[in-house]
Order: sequence, then structure tokens, then C-alpha cells
Amino acid sequence: MFEIRTRWGRILLQVVVTLLVLPFLFPLVAMVQGSLAGDGWANYEAVLAVPGLWRFFLNTVVIAAGVIVLVYIVTMLAAYGFGKLRIRGREVYFWMLLACLTLPEVVLLTPLFTTAQAFGFFDTYWAVILPIAALQVPFAVLLARNFVQGIPDELFEAARVDGGSVINGFRHLVIPLTRPIAAAILIFTLIGAWNNYLFPLVFLQSPEMQTITLVPQFFVGQFSNDQTKILASAVIIAIPEIIAYLCLQRYFERGLAAGAIK
Amino acid sequence: MAGTSIAERGLREKPAPAAGGGRRSRRLQPQGLHWILPALVLSVGLIYYCIWYTAVISTWDWDGIDPNPERVGAENYIRIAQDPIFWKTIQHTIVFFVVTFVLQTALGLIFAVLLHSKVKLAVVYKVIIFIPVVLAPAITAPVFRQIYAPDGQFNSVLEFFGLGFLAQPWLGQESTALAVIMAVTVWQWTGLTFVLYFAAMGQIDQSLLEAARIDGAGNFRTLIHIIWPGVRGTTLALAILSAIGALKTFDIPYLITVGGPNYATEFLGTYIYRKTIPQSHVGYGAALSIILLVLALVMALILQVRGGEKRVVR
Amino acid sequence: MKFTLPPKMSLRSLAVVGLASLALALGACGGPVGGGGKGAEQSQAASQEQSAGPATSGTVKWWGWTPTDTATANGYIAAFNKEYPNIKVNFKLVSIPDWQAALTPALRSESGPDVFDMQPGSYVTKYGSFAQDMTPVITKALGEDWQSKVAPAGVSGLTDKHGKLTALSVGAVYSGTLWINKGLFDKHNLKPPTTLDEWEKVCQEFKKASQGCFVQGAAGAGFDQDTLQAIANSVEPGFWTKASKGDAKWNEPAMVKTLDIWKQLFSRGIMQEGAIGYQQYPDANNDFLTGKYAMVMMGTWYTQYSTEKAMTAALKAAGVSGAKPFPILPIQFPNVGGNTSEMFGDADYGLSISTKAKDKAAAEAFVTWLTTSQAGQQAVADQLNDVPALKGIEPNFEEINFVDPATQEAPVKDLLAKVAPVTQPRFALLNQDVQDAIFQAAQSTATGKATPEEAANTLQEAAAAAQ
Repeated sequence: MFEIRTRWGRILLQVVVTLLVLPFLFPLVAMVQGSLAGDGWANYEAVLAVPGLWRFFLNTVVIAAGVIVLVYIVTMLAAYGFGKLRIRGREVYFWMLLACLTLPEVVLLTPLFTTAQAFGFFDTYWAVILPIAALQVPFAVLLARNFVQGIPDELFEAARVDGGSVINGFRHLVIPLTRPIAAAILIFTLIGAWNNYLFPLVFLQSPEMQTITLVPQFFVGQFSNDQTKILASAVIIAIPEIIAYLCLQRYFERGLAAGAIK
Repeated sequence: MAGTSIAERGLREKPAPAAGGGRRSRRLQPQGLHWILPALVLSVGLIYYCIWYTAVISTWDWDGIDPNPERVGAENYIRIAQDPIFWKTIQHTIVFFVVTFVLQTALGLIFAVLLHSKVKLAVVYKVIIFIPVVLAPAITAPVFRQIYAPDGQFNSVLEFFGLGFLAQPWLGQESTALAVIMAVTVWQWTGLTFVLYFAAMGQIDQSLLEAARIDGAGNFRTLIHIIWPGVRGTTLALAILSAIGALKTFDIPYLITVGGPNYATEFLGTYIYRKTIPQSHVGYGAALSIILLVLALVMALILQVRGGEKRVVR
Repeated sequence: MKFTLPPKMSLRSLAVVGLASLALALGACGGPVGGGGKGAEQSQAASQEQSAGPATSGTVKWWGWTPTDTATANGYIAAFNKEYPNIKVNFKLVSIPDWQAALTPALRSESGPDVFDMQPGSYVTKYGSFAQDMTPVITKALGEDWQSKVAPAGVSGLTDKHGKLTALSVGAVYSGTLWINKGLFDKHNLKPPTTLDEWEKVCQEFKKASQGCFVQGAAGAGFDQDTLQAIANSVEPGFWTKASKGDAKWNEPAMVKTLDIWKQLFSRGIMQEGAIGYQQYPDANNDFLTGKYAMVMMGTWYTQYSTEKAMTAALKAAGVSGAKPFPILPIQFPNVGGNTSEMFGDADYGLSISTKAKDKAAAEAFVTWLTTSQAGQQAVADQLNDVPALKGIEPNFEEINFVDPATQEAPVKDLLAKVAPVTQPRFALLNQDVQDAIFQAAQSTATGKATPEEAANTLQEAAAAAQ
């Protein structure tokens, strides 16, 4: 964005960014240090040796995948609807959707629980996928609608003049052009689903269904608290998310570089 | 669910020419209701039962389990209006929202701009800024308690820079505890604003930027007059999310300072949790939640109206 | 795929779906109040039953926040399986901060736990209606005179206000002691304090030598409450219990003096700087175990750290590798108010059997084994975390490796003997609101926001309102 012509300018830029980033780095360093204290790498071994770890990991992946797919489809449809199509009382529906974001998770527990029982999906993946997705959708729609509105109308009109239908507009315009925001939504939905602790705790009863967010709890006691292993498990849990972010970052940039507005 | 809907909907195009009159705009704006239906069914369907439920129990004096809850009508709301802790939470929320929103937005934007430019090892920076977003507060909280302890790293760093006189028990004082909570929040969420701004910047018309540069505009000018207005939509969305987030904020203040000392870091989110779970005043907590919902919608409306003045509903 | 929907259908379908989901959810559970009611009816019926017959096979779902280490729980289960090889017990650890959030919906559902932990105090009031009456169960196990065979502290705390014994105590914890790092005292030629003045002096000496003196996580409600109760016991023995029961007011002079002494802990430099922002676990605990501070206030549960194995593990957990474990010793809480401070405690936890338990006989077999059998209680005792409920069971000191038996064995045995007859409750008499108010009083006096008198008055108001 910024154009730097002089060498000094480039150095200044680098220095400024580095200085700004240091406060973010500092606690991270403290955490990694903490995870290596005491037993050192054995902490990581201990975490990896937690019984059923791979099962937990699998469950988390399944749930995250389910949430992502559901949220992506629903959000893109809704973003197109809210962003470009005509709906009577559109803003009202939008605010209704936004209202779903406002309730704290803890307040949702009991009513969601009754719903899960009523619909019979208690102790299944759906009991976790549906609430998490329901909570992510307003957030995603808010962002995506914004982005869709940023796509110039002329493109859609041009497509229609060429005889395209609404659905084609969706498939050939919205989907490709929203790649950057879709990547962002994907990443945040992944984090929301991956890190979610309360819903799996309450809605998944069987030990085989537990998720990976439960692992740090193995090291917390009523009268004890093994910080080193908790931090080690935090690092391990975070790694897949960071990898996903890196992949998506590249996807971002490819989408941007493709010069969407052509 | 969604797959069949698309097939079913088929070519739900413009209304048949006979029905829609001759207006150009109508012809070009197809019906969109069924596109938003899945979102509404999923979120509204699932969550609105919860909202209704919460509204009902907000008129009860209930512990969450007793089969015979006491129905007290609006009494919970009246008590809330007279509750000094409640007003404190509102105060904290406002301060928190303003400070964190400004800082996160500024930092996120600056990083997005800087890292869009030619910086070496940009990936490293991007990862560092983003990792905090991924870490669960339950795990980072003890680390921060350690960092801000009287003999913790933060004070050590201050001493290193000769600012030792500023060293104090940051978490043990009402005056500074809130500042720490805000700092940790900014640390955690700047990655979010960064990512969103980064994505939004891609939509800024390159030709505008080039035109500006040809006209001799400096980097700073470009930032203020082109980039900032260009990401207005994202800023607005972030403002709404920040407002709702500030009202709901729970993890960081609860885990680091437990709302203390002396309620100095109590927020509506932590207060609701405290009332609902450990104290089992579920009705009171529900009433607080309804108030939160109303406040959130009002805030979002205000922000939308004030920020969206220039946005034409296309 | 060219069929079109009439436009109005969409709006209608929205309404239909919305209403349908509402109706279904409502109908299926009868509105917000569901399971609890059924639970209450069932428990009344159950208490009239005799306990189920002997069991040799079945599955039991056990939920608990403690044992806080799944390995320990599985150890108990393994020992249980030696006698009952065909009963499968599955332990699910739900840590205490999430306990209420998770247990409430679970108990109201049909897929909740068969056996769950129960703590004296507010949990008994809240979850008691979901628990079976354990009196017939314990009578069957120990006979009609069962009351004389178990520690009294474990019984009264777990009995609800209708007289139903909601759980069988597994073991008790007692508080009112301090634990010290004797090595540090010896190194600086200091003796453990026995009065408030001595305490202040000891801390001054430690400070001169740049050694931390006393550490507490004063941001933790439960631990502050322990300290206040210990001080109150020294100021006026018996007052705390009376005030808890409502027979005395919380703003009587005894309490004002207690809060004043508490404040002096801060003003006289005994509490460490920034204590108000510190948590007991892991912050204060790690600091004490790594030798940063010489004293900490913990109860009998801390005995588990007196062994070499546990200490080394705790040191590693605190992030220090290769450190030498040091012997920790319990000492009496200093006489800060004029009298010897008596200890207090109640059941750490008991096991309740849910009224909706699928396999009642198997559940009873497991609960009975852990809480009343020699083998079960011995397993509990050897953990050195809880003091076993069954009288006459002592930890197996032959197998326990103290860090320094010479200095530790006698005081530890002393401590365990001292707590056996203790009846003063710790949590059992207080409800959550009062506990919260006590914590607020502690914090406001410590930060100087309120004078001890003001704080006591606020506390009394809150306690009265909470009745």
C-alpha cells in the first residue's frame, strides 16, 4: 500500500513494524518458555501421551469441518441475499440475525440443552455443530454482506444483460470475488469451532466424543495446576490453527493479486 | 439442507414482467428472501428459542433447578436499575469499548497497510500478530497474571528502560486493573482487525491509489483520504462487533482478575456469569442478559445509522 | 429444475419453521422447568425403597471435579475392580469452575451421570433433589450404628435440610493451618511465628534478606474465607459458626476485629505485595513450592506435597527442573486474636447416586466400596489429599516417602490426629451469596476501600438479604 522509494524509508518501515510487533511477541515468548520449563520437552511428550488424544483431535476436526461447511454455505447465500438482492424488510431480518450474537454462551446452555434433547441430537456431533454454527453465522454474514456490497453493481448488471440468472450471478461472481473474505470467515469459524470449550463439555457425554479443548483440563486440579503442561497443550492445540492460517493467508493474497476487479 | 434449496428455488429471478410494473430498478433487483432463509432458520430458529426462554425466566426468582420457581414479574429489572455493581459494569464497558476499539482498529489498520507494502519477512509478522487470536484465554490468563505481577516481566522491562518508578502491582489495584484487561484484549484481538482490514484493502481500487500517487500524494495522505474511507464498511462492521464484544466480554476479565479487585474489572458478561452459575440467581442473570441484548441492538443501530450515512443501499 | 415457488410461500415457510421449532422444543420438555420436578418426585419414591440388592455386573457413569487427576480416579477404579471385576466405572472429570454449568443440564436429562460428586454447602441445596437418600445404603454397609464409624464432619455437611443424606463422604479436608518451608526459617535463624507481632517481625527479617515471607492468592474467594475464619477462631472461638447459622450478626465486634486483623496482614507487610491480584493456584502455590516464599496458608490437602514424589512433580509443574524438594511442615495458625485458632473443615466431597441412575445396584456397590470399605478408604487415605471418612483408617506411612521423615513424620501424624474430632464446618453452612459477601468484605478492607466496620456492616446486610 505504501510506496517506499528510498532505502532509508524501507529500513524505517521495517523498524516501525518490528517495534509494533514486539509487544505481541513478548507474551508468546513467555508462554513457550513456560511450556518448556520444568520437564522441558517431556511436557510435550506428556501431553501427546494423554490417553485418547488422537480421538479428541479427530472429534475436533469433524466438528470444525461441519461448522465451517455449514457456516460457509449459509453465510454466502445470506450475504448475497442481504448484499445484492431485494428483500422486503431486509434490515429487520438483518437485525434479527445480529441479535443472535448478543447472548453470552453461558445463558444459552440450558435452553440449548432442552432443544438438543427435544430434537434428539444430544451427545452427537450435531449438538455441538449446530449451536456453534448458529452463533458464527451472524458474525460471518455481517462481514460477508459488507464485502458483497463492495462488489460493484455494474458487474451484476453486466452478467444479467448477458442472460445470466441470479444463481449464475452467485456462482460466477460472488463466490470467486469473495475469496478473501471467505478465507477470513473460514479462519475465524475454524477458531471458533476449534477452541470452543463449553458446548462440547455440556453436550457431549460419551468419552469418545470429547474434543481436544478438554486436554488442558487433564492438568488442572482442585489443588494443583500444572502450568507447564497446560501451556504445552495450548501450543499443540494451536498449531493446526496456525497452519490453517498460513495456508489461508496465501489464498488471500492470491485472491487479491488476481485483481478481482477486472 | 442448502443443496436442495438451491435446486428447489430454481430460477427465482425478477418478478414476471406483468407483475412488477415498469420500474427499472425492480427488474434489476431480484427477490432475495429465500437466500437468507437458511441463515435465518439456523441462527434465528436455534437462538430465538433461547432468547424467548431467557426472557421468560428473567421474570422468575430461580436457581436453575428448583421445580417451583417464584414468579416475580419485573422485580429483577427493578433491582438491576438500583444495583450499583450493574452501573459499574456499564461504565467499564463503555470505557473498554472505546479504548479497545480505537486501539485495535488503529493497530489493525496500520499493520494491514504496512504489511501490504514491501516488508521483509512479512509472513513472520503476520503470524505473530495472529497467534494471540488463536490462543484460549483460559490458558493465557495465568501467564498474564505472572507478567503483570509485582515482580513480573512487565515491571522488569520498565526497570530496564529506566522507568522503574512506574512499577506497581498492576493487578492488585483498582486503578490499573482495568488498563491491564484492556491491554490483554487488544493483544488478543488485533489479529482479527488486521486480517479483516488486509482482506478489505484488496477491494480498494488500484487505479485510485495510482492516481493519487501520480498527483504526488504522500503515504500519509493516501492513508487518510483513500484507504481509510475505502475500508469504511469493515470499520463499521468491526465497530458493531466490538460493541457487542465489549458487552459480552467474559473470558479475559474473569480469568485474569475475576472481576476484581472490588469489581474494578467487572463487566456485564462477567456479572451475568457470576449471577447465573456460582450464585445460581438464574432469573437475575437472565434479566441482565435481556438488558445486554437490548443494549447491544441499540448500540449497533446507532453505529449503523451514524456510520452508514454515506452508504447508499444499492 | 424449473419450478418456481409463489413468493408468499417463503415468508410463510419462515414463520412455520420458526413456530415449529418453538413448539417442538416446548412440547418436548414442558417449558423451562423440566427434569427437576420429576427428579424430586422420584427421589421421594426412592427414599422409601430399600437399597438395591447386591450387584456383580453393570456400568456406572461417574462425574466429578475430584479426584482432580484422572489417573487417581482410575487407580481407585482399578482397586475397586479387584473386588468387583465385572462392574465398569467410567470417570468423567469436569473441573470445578465448569461443574455447575455442566452438571445442571446433565442431571435434568436422561443421559446424566449415575454417580456424581457432592460438596457440602450450596451444592447440597441445589442438587440434593437429584440424589438418592443414602441412609439405607450406608446402613446396609456398616450396620445400624454406622454413625459412630464415620467422621461426623462428613455426615452433617452432606445432609440436606429435610434430613436426607444426599451423599456418602469420601474424605474430608480441614483448614486453619499454615505450611512452612522449614529450611528457609533455619537458614535465616528464625522461628515460626505464633502471634501476630511475631509474624510481622519474621516477615521483616525475611524482607531484609530479600526472601519472600508469606504468600496468598487473595483474589480467590475460598482461600480468603479460610484466613478470615482462622482469624475469627482466634478472636472469638465459635463466633464464625454462630454467624454462619444466623445466630450472630456479621457486624458484631468479633467480626470487625477479625477484618481489622485481616487488614493488618496487609498493612504490616505480612501479605505479599499485589496479593489481591494473585490466585492461589497456580500463582501462590508455585511461588511457595519454588522457595520464593517461606509460608503459605493451605489445609490438610497440602499434605500430599510432603512426599518426595509429589514434591518433585510439583516442582516440575512449577517450571523448575532439577530443583531439590524440600520438606514442608504444618504449623498452627498464629494466635492473632487472643485464643488458639481451632481448625475447621468438612467433607471434601461425597458421592451421590442420581435418582435417574440406570444401574442402581452397581452404582451402590461402587459408592459403598469407595466410602465405607477398608480397601477403598485406604486408597483414599494414601493419596494424602483427603482425610478418610471411615474412622480408624490411617495413611500407610510405611509406603509413604517423606522428603525428610525426621522432621516431617511427627508433625504430619500430629496434624491428622488433631483433625479427627473437628466438627466446625468450613463450607457446609454458607450459601453462595454469603460467601461472595465475605469475599467482598475481605477485598474492600484489604484495599482500604472500606473500614473494617463498614465492610462488616455491608456483609451483614448482604447475609441478611440472602436468607
